[in-house]
Amino acid sequence: MKFPYCQHRHSTPDPQAPALEIKGLGISYSSEEKFALKDFNISVPAGSALALVGPNGAGKSTLFKAVCGLLPVRSGSIRVFGHPLGACHHRVVYLPQRSEIDWHFPISVLDLVVMGRYVYLGWFNKPQKKDIEIARDALKEMNVEDLADRQISKLSGGQQQRVLIARALAQNADLLLLDEPLNAVDVSTRQTVADVLHKIKAQGKTVIVATHYYDQEEGRYDQAIYLKDGKKTSATPGVAELDSTHKDCDCN
Amino acid sequence: MHYLTDPLQYVFIQRALIAAVIIGVLCAALGTFVVLRRMAVVGHALTHSALPGLVIAYLLGGSLFGGALVATVLTALGIGFLARDESVYEDTLVGMIPNIMFAFGILLISTTKSFRDLFSMLFGNILGVTNGDLHLIMLISAVSLIALFLFYKELKLFTVDPNYAQTIGLPVKVMHYGILLFLSFTVVVGIQAVGTVLTNALLVVPVAAARLLTDRLGRMITLACIFAVLSSIGGIYFSYYFGSASGASIVMFAALIFAIAWVYKFIQKAIRL
Repeated sequence: MKFPYCQHRHSTPDPQAPALEIKGLGISYSSEEKFALKDFNISVPAGSALALVGPNGAGKSTLFKAVCGLLPVRSGSIRVFGHPLGACHHRVVYLPQRSEIDWHFPISVLDLVVMGRYVYLGWFNKPQKKDIEIARDALKEMNVEDLADRQISKLSGGQQQRVLIARALAQNADLLLLDEPLNAVDVSTRQTVADVLHKIKAQGKTVIVATHYYDQEEGRYDQAIYLKDGKKTSATPGVAELDSTHKDCDCN
Repeated sequence: MHYLTDPLQYVFIQRALIAAVIIGVLCAALGTFVVLRRMAVVGHALTHSALPGLVIAYLLGGSLFGGALVATVLTALGIGFLARDESVYEDTLVGMIPNIMFAFGILLISTTKSFRDLFSMLFGNILGVTNGDLHLIMLISAVSLIALFLFYKELKLFTVDPNYAQTIGLPVKVMHYGILLFLSFTVVVGIQAVGTVLTNALLVVPVAAARLLTDRLGRMITLACIFAVLSSIGGIYFSYYFGSASGASIVMFAALIFAIAWVYKFIQKAIRL
């Protein structure tokens, strides 16, 4: 017997629809008047890789959180695989920045990765052998299978990132939203993450990566979108930065 | 051996021991999530807020248990509701409300000029547990422990990564209020044993000791339960032989276990270096 956490989240995706389609999206945090994202439009075809580039505070995490239903949408619409927000959610996985997780919680790495299977288990069902195998395979994919029994507080930054990606892999989602996966990690983790992203894309999955390091990553993505102050800019971040400096000069 | 068996000839001691074991297990099991969710101060707020409920029930001649339950649940939901829009910080509310509720309780009882029963409200009276109380303790504990068992997996996820829990469709708001509700149940049960002032210690101290000794959740809950039960039994025997206040004795035993765990951990670290 299955008791899903949320019935309507398990809709079948529309094969014709883009993985993610956003029209006129506006997001503001309840305590602030200012919009964190304003009139944002984007269409990401299924099976493509997109880089979302911008400085801290540009609205990258806000966008991801809105797509996952963590933030209320003030205006506009978000469709995932042709369905409105909230449906199809087991097919979307959001990889938060590492700081959003309580790494002192007393569980093992394997336990954390198995959590990627909960969406399929629903209420009352315990993880089965199959779920644990999937979690172990995901750890293997990220080259950290030897960490399975380690307590999560005893991981380095790069290891934490690998473990989080392993959890996302265990969920076997079709749309992956990765928030700064390459921020402050070691070289070998960067390589592993890049290889895995390539592999995921080859499997026909859609990947969106938020980053402020685009130079080093160029060429791996099908398209890049630049964000600044919650708005899409067509220019490269360097040029955008220059523009704002000019404005500041004028004011002075 | 007769030191252990002698007290058992008294029915009130037997009842106290049964109640202490059940209360210990419940407080430790729920306390584990209270500590891990950094809600120890909320537990403190709820325990103190029970006082006016107890006093009103006492003045009206109603059930003390019911009075405490109503006051605690209302406080839990009130804090959750007021903290919702972040216009007052949650920790400010938690620092403020228990003192106001506590003062209100003292104010009410001071009008009667009878402070005799205030002592057992403040510091618990496990040796005075009646059969009716015991049944209520068993019922509340059974319901809370079953809920904890059924939603263990989700509680774990909700605590370690609440955002991920929300994205896969867990009703995080309901779960937050649910934890507060079961915390109030536990607090009311704990008040029977150690009173409003000391119940939070029973929720937190055995768990803190267990946390020092293990980094696995299952083991942590088991150890915390064992520590809580040992403190409860130890406290009751101590108060039987030395005539000390039962609630305070229980808490001091828990503190002793924490101290031993801390020293053990300290030595273990020193040896490794």
